[in-house]
Amino acid sequence: MNGPDDFLTAQHLRKQFDGITAVDDVTFTIRRQEIFGLLGPNGAGKTTTIRMLSTVLSLDDGEVTIGGNSVTSEGDRVRQIIGVCPQELALYPELSATDNLVFFGRMAGLSGRDAKDAASENLERVGLLDRAKDKVDNFSGGMKRRVNLAISLMSRPQLLFLDEPTVGIDPQSRNHIFDTVEALRDEGMTVLYTTHYMEEADRLCDRLAIMDHGQIVVMGTPHELKTEIGDPATVTLETVFLELTGRSLRD
Amino acid sequence: MLRPLHIALLELKRYVGTPGELAFSLALPVVLFALMYGAFGGETSFHATAHVVDLDQGIHARALIGRLDALEEITVRERSLDDANQALDRSAILTAVVIPAGFSDGFGGDEPVAITFRKRGNGGDTGQIVEAVVRSVVQKMAGEAQVRATVGSVLGGTDIPQDRIDSVVSRQLSESRQNPILGVETRWLGGDESDPIDRLVPGLLVMFLMFAVTMNAQTLVDERQNGTLERLMTTRLGVNQLFVGKFMAGVFRAVVQALVLLALAFVVLRIGDAVDFIELTVFSALVAMAVSAIGLAIGSLARTRDQAIWAAVFITMFMTVFGGTFFDLTGAGPLDLLSKFTLTRYAIDSMFGMLATGQTLAAQDVGIAVHVGVAVVGLAVARMLFRVSEGGR
Repeated sequence: MNGPDDFLTAQHLRKQFDGITAVDDVTFTIRRQEIFGLLGPNGAGKTTTIRMLSTVLSLDDGEVTIGGNSVTSEGDRVRQIIGVCPQELALYPELSATDNLVFFGRMAGLSGRDAKDAASENLERVGLLDRAKDKVDNFSGGMKRRVNLAISLMSRPQLLFLDEPTVGIDPQSRNHIFDTVEALRDEGMTVLYTTHYMEEADRLCDRLAIMDHGQIVVMGTPHELKTEIGDPATVTLETVFLELTGRSLRD
Repeated sequence: MLRPLHIALLELKRYVGTPGELAFSLALPVVLFALMYGAFGGETSFHATAHVVDLDQGIHARALIGRLDALEEITVRERSLDDANQALDRSAILTAVVIPAGFSDGFGGDEPVAITFRKRGNGGDTGQIVEAVVRSVVQKMAGEAQVRATVGSVLGGTDIPQDRIDSVVSRQLSESRQNPILGVETRWLGGDESDPIDRLVPGLLVMFLMFAVTMNAQTLVDERQNGTLERLMTTRLGVNQLFVGKFMAGVFRAVVQALVLLALAFVVLRIGDAVDFIELTVFSALVAMAVSAIGLAIGSLARTRDQAIWAAVFITMFMTVFGGTFFDLTGAGPLDLLSKFTLTRYAIDSMFGMLATGQTLAAQDVGIAVHVGVAVVGLAVARMLFRVSEGGR
């Protein structure tokens, strides 16, 4: 059932590649101004789900609306209200951080001046304003991740997709990203966050869905999920996943 | 509307922002050009300085110096007698041409006069050639003086005024110099009745324009593999806008290369005038359009960088080898036929026509039609084959 606060509604999503089902009958909703997590091991179907939601992949079956717009028939309108931070570092290392942000800002429809202002604002948000003119190629892995995140904010999206934004980075950059995501939620942004780190999901997500083999195994707040298994003070999301799937998240 | 332009500008920024790639892409054509310059010599004929001492300063002495200086192979440097002698003494020069005092009076008065070659030893190889050139000019002047004297003696007793006779004879002699009855023409080895440089410059230029196929093929594949393509497709950028932007970037990059090569060729080899330069640049842009579209088609079809590179290299090499890049294949049987399936053939034929035979850009209707056609079809095919990702738009 859709609620009045639901910003994203995904119903019965299905996607196959060469006969292999990557996403199988996935249904969930994301409320306005919440951080919704998709938690699952590599290959669970998290990224494929995000690619369908962000109009990159077509849907084999199912339906998605974002902000009342159908992903299938109103892709242009959907792309105006979303921002995507992909798992890979999708940026141009030969260019400076500012040039990267300004370019994607222009692609999002900002004027030259607005794109420059937004670039400064977002670089400050991720703590890289002092490195704005440096080539991204010279940045550490964590700094590149932060530029990757800043780019996704250039369109001032209402819904932000973050696909494993903390993979392979140092604790300082990870904490910076956590703080940024929480701040964005507090400012009114809705966030879909995928990760295979349980502690991240536990810390950040208001609600989450655990995915495995292309399906949603269970969905709820971290507290609800842990309570289903035992004492939430001692149970972890890792335990929840193990209990429900019979294997470890890192298998 | 401006998004394609921003895509093109981004590509250029990336091109310029990678000094290694930039230097390599511009340096390679220059290196090949230097080899060509070395092989054919930038100076297409002998050139030397004639050291002249004018002790006469009269009208005929100045006329002789003027005519020597007008020759492409000779530059006149005037010296005083003392200066010339000192230079000869210390072997700084090996030959000096001395025009004696009274030269003009004697020459104008039909009295025997002579210029002098002052030489150190045999005058050196260059000095001997300069001497031969000066002798031929002096003999021409003597012949012309003979004509004037003969005409003057024949018409001297008539009513025709002397200044009228002088004027007509001067005009006739001038026309004779421009269009001599007895001419000399040059034919180059290989049967092609043109300067080989007129075929090599377009060949080199088109070859480098063809290399842009590889760069354009890579750009789409690289963006797909880096994830930037997918990211771009989640913005307001449309696929058609992406294509126009990439197409413009490819054309611009290739034209920059063409400009470098053409500028070198025109400045160093002096192969044409400003109009030729502009027309060849415009035609290069047409070739770049076709090449850019082919590159995008390959990039749309290929799934990996290696696939894109190998396909692009194959097509480039096919067109370079079988397109008659450096040799005219007209009448060469199967090769002639094969070359008609390459862009290179039409590009070089058009450029050669403009450079060597004085045809205009407007006359290159076949070349223009082929390149515009390939650009349009190439873009259509590229768009048809393009997918952001497997299972995607």
